[in-house]
Amino acid sequence: MLSQLSKEKWTYDTAAHLAARSGFGESPSQLEQWTKQGMEATIQELLHPANDDTPTLPTCAAPNQFAELREQVREATSPDEKRQARRTLRQTTNQQLYEMINWWTQRMLTTPAPLIEKMTLFWHGHFATSGLKVRSPYKLWQQNETFRRYALGNFATLTKAVSRNPAMMVYLDLATSLLEHPNENFARELMELFTLGEGNYSEADIKESARAFTGYRIDRFEQFRFIKNQADGSNKTFLQQTGNWNGDQIIDIILKQPAAAKFISTKLWKFFAYEDPESQLIDKLAELFRQNYEIRPLLETIFSSEEFYSQRARDAIVKSPVQYVVESGRTLGVNLPTGRTLFVVYQRMGQVPFFPPNVKGWDGGKSWINTATLTFRYQLARQLVLGIRMLNNPPSLKAPQVSSLAQASPSAEASPSAQASPSAQTGSLTAQNFVRLPALPVEQLVTAEERKDPEAAVRKIYARAFQTAPDPQLFDRILAVAKLKPLPLADDAIRDLVALMMMTPNYQVC
Amino acid sequence: MSQEPDLLTRRHFLRTSILGAALSWTVPLFVERTFSLLNAEAAETATQIATGKDHPILLVLQLAGGNDGLNALVPFADDLYYRARPTINIPRDKVLSLDGHVGFNPRMAPLKNLFDQGKLAVIQGVGYPNPNRSHFRSTEIWQTASDADKYVKTGWIGRYFDNCCAGEDPTVGVTIGSQLPQTFTAEKNTGIAMTPGGRLGFGKEADASEQRVFNELNGITQDHDLTSGSSIGSLNGPSEPTLSAVEYLQRTALDAQVGTDKIEAILKRTKLEAAYPKTPLGNELSLIARLISGGLPTRVYYASQGGYDTHNAQENSHNNLLGQLADALTAFSNDLTSKGIWDRVLVVSFSEFGRRVAENASKGTDHGTAAPMFICGGNVKPGLYGNHPSLSQLEQGDLIHTVDFRSVYATVLNRWMKAPASKILGRDFAALSFV
Repeated sequence: MLSQLSKEKWTYDTAAHLAARSGFGESPSQLEQWTKQGMEATIQELLHPANDDTPTLPTCAAPNQFAELREQVREATSPDEKRQARRTLRQTTNQQLYEMINWWTQRMLTTPAPLIEKMTLFWHGHFATSGLKVRSPYKLWQQNETFRRYALGNFATLTKAVSRNPAMMVYLDLATSLLEHPNENFARELMELFTLGEGNYSEADIKESARAFTGYRIDRFEQFRFIKNQADGSNKTFLQQTGNWNGDQIIDIILKQPAAAKFISTKLWKFFAYEDPESQLIDKLAELFRQNYEIRPLLETIFSSEEFYSQRARDAIVKSPVQYVVESGRTLGVNLPTGRTLFVVYQRMGQVPFFPPNVKGWDGGKSWINTATLTFRYQLARQLVLGIRMLNNPPSLKAPQVSSLAQASPSAEASPSAQASPSAQTGSLTAQNFVRLPALPVEQLVTAEERKDPEAAVRKIYARAFQTAPDPQLFDRILAVAKLKPLPLADDAIRDLVALMMMTPNYQVC
Repeated sequence: MSQEPDLLTRRHFLRTSILGAALSWTVPLFVERTFSLLNAEAAETATQIATGKDHPILLVLQLAGGNDGLNALVPFADDLYYRARPTINIPRDKVLSLDGHVGFNPRMAPLKNLFDQGKLAVIQGVGYPNPNRSHFRSTEIWQTASDADKYVKTGWIGRYFDNCCAGEDPTVGVTIGSQLPQTFTAEKNTGIAMTPGGRLGFGKEADASEQRVFNELNGITQDHDLTSGSSIGSLNGPSEPTLSAVEYLQRTALDAQVGTDKIEAILKRTKLEAAYPKTPLGNELSLIARLISGGLPTRVYYASQGGYDTHNAQENSHNNLLGQLADALTAFSNDLTSKGIWDRVLVVSFSEFGRRVAENASKGTDHGTAAPMFICGGNVKPGLYGNHPSLSQLEQGDLIHTVDFRSVYATVLNRWMKAPASKILGRDFAALSFV
C-alpha cells in the first residue's frame, strides 16, 4: 500500500492526471515539462510553489466598509428612507460578493500555485461558512486568505485559526456564545464535521468544550478579540481529561484522538483520488498524518503513490462546478463570465463559492450530477465556446439565495442565456441587457497546418480537453465528425469540436 | 407451472440483451432499477409497481421565504393579534371568516370558494420542535423531514421514490426549475428537473451526424422505449451494480433525454386551454396541468412561489403573493376539474416557517415558527385541522406549533400515496384525516 510510483510509470498521462487532480489542468507544454522533469520534482514544485506575487485584492479586502451604510439604515427617519437605505446596503454587499466570487475564480484560473488554490477550495468545503448568514464580504475574504495561508501547512494551526475567523464565529454562533449560556453550535461541528466524525465524542464533550470556546468576540474592525471576563475559566472534563482548557487546548486534545487523523486523511484521499478507499490505505495515511498534522508530507505521499495513479483512480472523480469552469478556462481558453452571470452559472451547476449549502459543505461526487445540472453543463459548454451572454446591467440586484429560494423567486432571476431558459422565464429581459463575451479564440488551440488535417486538429484539442491519452473509441467518434467538415477547418468548425468534447460524460470527470 | 418457461425466457432475454456486460451502461437507470428492486426488500413495501393512468398524484408547493401565516389565516377573533400588529393587521371586517375565529386574507377569496366547495383543507399551526429560523436550514428540515438537530441527506419524497417507485420512469418526480429540490434527493430515483426548453441535445442547428455522435458519446440509444413496461417489474434480477462515474453520467444523460423527450411530446400534443393568471406560479401550474392530462407517469410534482420573506412594508407585497397563490390554485382546480382529473390530485403547500407574531419597526415581520398549510384537491376532506396556536403563550415571541409537519406528511404518504409512512419518515407520526 502507498508505495511510490516507479520512475518508468511516470508519463505524460500520469503528469496530466496529477495536474487535473492537484489543480485545474495544465497546458500541453507544461505537461511535457512535467513529464521530462519527473514526478518528484513536479510534486516538490506543487508543494513549494514560487510566490504568487502580489495578486490583486478584491474591493472587500478592507474591514468595516459598511458601517456608514448601516448607520444610514439605523438613522433613517421615514419607512421609505429606511427601505432605500436597506436596499443600498444589500446591493452594495451583493456587488462585493459577486466581485469576490469572480476574484477567486480568476485567481484559480491564472495562479502559478494551483495546489494552493485547490486546497483552499478543499478547506472552504471542509470548514464551510456561507455568505447567506455571514453576509460580510470582508469576513469571507479574510477566511479565504486563512485557508490559503495554511493550505499546505499544519492542520492544528489551521483549525485554531479557523476557530478565530470572524466568518466562522458568525456562522456557527461563536461570537454570541455567552458565559452563562455557551452556544454549542461550533463545538458540535468542530468534532462532528471538522475533526473527528460522528460517534467519536459524547454530548457531554460538546457541552464541556462549548465552555472552552467562550469569550470569543468580534471587534468593530471585524477582527477576533478574546474577552477574558466572558470566558469560562473553570475546569472542563473533555474526552476524559480534566483541566481548565481553553479553545486551543480543546483542539489539541481532539487531535490526539486517532479518529481525527483518519477522518481528515479519508476526506483528502476521496477529494484527490477515489471514493471508498481501502481501510489499510487510510490507516497508513493516518499514521503518517498523526505524527505532527503537517499537510505537505501527507499530500506528497498521496501524489506519489501507486494507488493515486491506478486504474481505479482514473476518471473516478466528477468535476465540481468550480473545477469545470476553471479548467475550461485554463486548458481550453474559453472566456469565463463574471459578476452576477458567473454567480448564476455556479448556482445552476450547484456550487457557488462562498455559498456552500450548509455547514457540511458540498457533498460532491456523483451528487454534482442530476438531469438538470447535466443538461445545464451541456448547454453551458456551447455558450462558453461561442461566448456566453452576460447580464450587462442587471435590472435589480437580488440577494444571493439558496437554490430553493432562488429557484422560486420570479422573473428577475434571470438565466445567463436566453438559450438555457427561454421566453417563459426571461421574457422581461430584452437584448439590451446582455453583452456577449468573445467566442473561444481558436488560434492558440490549432495551427494553420493542423486545420488542414482533421486528425491532427482533433488530437490537439483532445489533449487539452481531456488531459489524457486518447481513448480510441471516443477519439474516433469525434474524428468522424471532424472529417465531415470542410478543410481547412473554420473557426466555428473547431469550436463545434470543442463543444462536442465538452458535451460528453468523459469531460465531466477527471 | 405453464408460465414458468415463459418467465424464464423473458428474464433470460432481458438479462442477456439489456444487462449484458458490454451494454450494461446503456441501460437507463430506471430500467436497471426495475431489475434491482425485486427482492424481498421491495416486496415488503406493500406497494404495487403498476403505473396505470389512475394513480394518485401529489403536488408539493413551496411558498419560499417564510409565509406570514397570521396574515394569511387571520385569528381575527383574538385581540392579541391586533395588539401585536397595529399597522399591518387585516381589519376584522375584511377577513373571510372560516369558523368565527380564523379566516382568510381577503385576497384569498378564490380559496375561500374552494373551501366552501369542500375542496380545501387548512392545517393550523404546523411546525416542529426547536424551530430553526434560518431560511436554508429550516427549508432543509421541511424537505428532508428530519428533526431540527439532525442532518438527513435524502428528501421525504426521495425516500418515497426509493421505497415505492423502484423501476419507474425518471419522470416519476418532476420539478419545474433548474434545481432539484432536496425534497426529491434519493439514493436511487431522484426524479427530474425541467426548465422549458431545457433539452439535452447537441444544439439546434446540429446536423444529424453530429447529433448521432453526441447521442453515442452519451450512451443515448434510440430504443429506450422498449422499457416502458411495468410487467418486468416483478422479475428477479441482479442488484444495482456500482456505477463508475462515467457510467453514472451516461445514465443521467439518458434519463434527461427520456424525460425531456416525453415531456416535449406531451407539450406538443396538448394545448394551453384553460385561463391561468400570467404569473410565475400560474405558468408553472398550467404546465403541470398539461403534463398530468397528457399522461406523464409522474407521481409527485414540485412547484414553488417565492418572495415571502417580507421583512419590511409587507402589506402590499404579501397580499399580492397570497392573491397570486389563490388565483393560480383556482385556475389549476378549474382546469383539472373540467378535464376530470382533479380527483386524482392533491396539492400540499408548505413554507419553511411562519413569521413573528409582532410586527417589526419597518411594517414587516421577521422570521418566526409555525404557520398554516393549505391542502386542496378533488378528494380532500375539507375543513380546519389542528388548533390555532395561542397568541398569549409564545416562545421568544413566536408561536408554538400544534401540529408536527411530519404528521401531515404521514397522512399524505399513508392515505394518499398508499406508502409506508413510518418507514419513510423514520418513525410514526399521528395521521390527520384530511384525506
